[in-house]
Amino acid sequence: MLTELLQGTDAGGFLIIQDTASCSGRHLLKSFINAVLNREEAVHVLGFEVSEEELKDGLKGSPIQRLHFHNAYTDPLGWTDHPAFTVHQFCLVELAHLVKQTSHPKPPTLVIDSLSWILRHLSPPAVCKTLQQLRKGGAVRAIIGLLHADMHQRGTVGSVCHLATSVITVVPGIRGDEAVARITKRSKSGKVMQDEEVFSIKEDLKVIVQGKPSQLGPKQTDPEEQETDPTANLTFNLRLSDTEREAKQKLALPFVFSKEKKTALLHSGPGSGRILYEPDANDDYDQEDPDDDLDV
Amino acid sequence: MFPELNSILNTTPESFTQGEFILVSDRQSDASFLIHHFLSLYLRARCKVWFLGLVQSLNHYSAVSQRLGVSLAQAKEKGQLVFLEGLKESLSVLIPQETNTGSQAMDFLRDPAVGLKSLYEFVRSGVSSSGGREEETDGAEEWGPPVLLVDDISVLLSLGVSVGAVLDFSHYCRATVCSQLKVEVCWRRRQGDGQYTQKKLFQYKVHDKGASFFARGTSSAVL
Repeated sequence: MLTELLQGTDAGGFLIIQDTASCSGRHLLKSFINAVLNREEAVHVLGFEVSEEELKDGLKGSPIQRLHFHNAYTDPLGWTDHPAFTVHQFCLVELAHLVKQTSHPKPPTLVIDSLSWILRHLSPPAVCKTLQQLRKGGAVRAIIGLLHADMHQRGTVGSVCHLATSVITVVPGIRGDEAVARITKRSKSGKVMQDEEVFSIKEDLKVIVQGKPSQLGPKQTDPEEQETDPTANLTFNLRLSDTEREAKQKLALPFVFSKEKKTALLHSGPGSGRILYEPDANDDYDQEDPDDDLDV
Repeated sequence: MFPELNSILNTTPESFTQGEFILVSDRQSDASFLIHHFLSLYLRARCKVWFLGLVQSLNHYSAVSQRLGVSLAQAKEKGQLVFLEGLKESLSVLIPQETNTGSQAMDFLRDPAVGLKSLYEFVRSGVSSSGGREEETDGAEEWGPPVLLVDDISVLLSLGVSVGAVLDFSHYCRATVCSQLKVEVCWRRRQGDGQYTQKKLFQYKVHDKGASFFARGTSSAVL
């Protein structure tokens, strides 16, 4: 489903990429921007959180002439005399004006980096109203927003995600270079589809879907992690040579009940004690007939 | 500065990445030794350092830096170090006097709800007035890229400033200092590139004149 979403949202679509401190969604956001640019559509980015350089850094090679970055990074609160774009300008009128400035035959996609910045300074109902107006207004074709779920109360996150047509929640994957995307998609008919996919992003921002989380095996050692060898630099030897390793593997542990031990116990060797038993009348105790007087 | 930490972080006074934002955080222990490391590192690298000292007096940092071989008094005299003594300045806010020559940096103490805009103004006016320009007209010494050090942010939270205001302040410092002037901000984790941050885990022991770092479980006390 991730690939489908990358191929294009329907008009009026609103995609939210939800991330947390443990797993950043900005890389995936850049992949989406890359995908839209490669479809020959225009993208307008409201950049609050990262600078234009930082955002365009990963987008090398993409047709970035169609990317219009609106700088809300240097002065989002109007603390200087000449702010480029402040968070208080996040309303339908201003945004429509901003988007109309650059001419392009098709309505562009609006990317918001990030919704969390806006939600920290404007009230959630106002933000939701603006987002809904943008969706229905026709000034933009689609909206993609990045939301840091751990920065807000769950109610706020829930309200904003309720407006979205698709929500992708990224969580860390098992391996270092992978992440898991939990996707919820609402189609126009009202049907809700959910899916979970493991993905990784290549250097050129192409997303590779690896499969479902349960399909991949148990935890694999992270090749990037550099663990120092604790057996190095010691005054005594903790390492094993090959012969020692073999001998160690061959060793039968004393309390493990193996097949050889079982047969040894069952078939007693010569000279060991034997038990001779002759049935005694008193031993013949029938649970169902203790007095031995039933005629069965 | 601690040579071991330099090799772990791949920094030397001669070469360090510019435009970085370093966050030092601690939980249930004291990471202030790292602030002393960075302070002496950047002073040795001949950077111009702006230090917002909100938790300790200048004397405290001087004493520790002395042991690390750096003189803060000298650096201040030469103009290399600009030190905001938060504790002293706050007195002028809490005990207002007529001859008040202090900056407005600590004005947030009057009304924490107002936010940290005045503190940011202090940083911006200081850093942009002398940072980034090669020529010094009055013949003073030329310094390298400016560095902003803040010790520490959590005390702002204790003083009643909201988390949002602190986040805004750090955003503005980062935007002004890192992007516009290509300098460094060092607060009290390495900011990761891309999606996946590289994590290295070490244990440390702080000594009188430094700190030693080693891999987990390999300290001399254990082996």
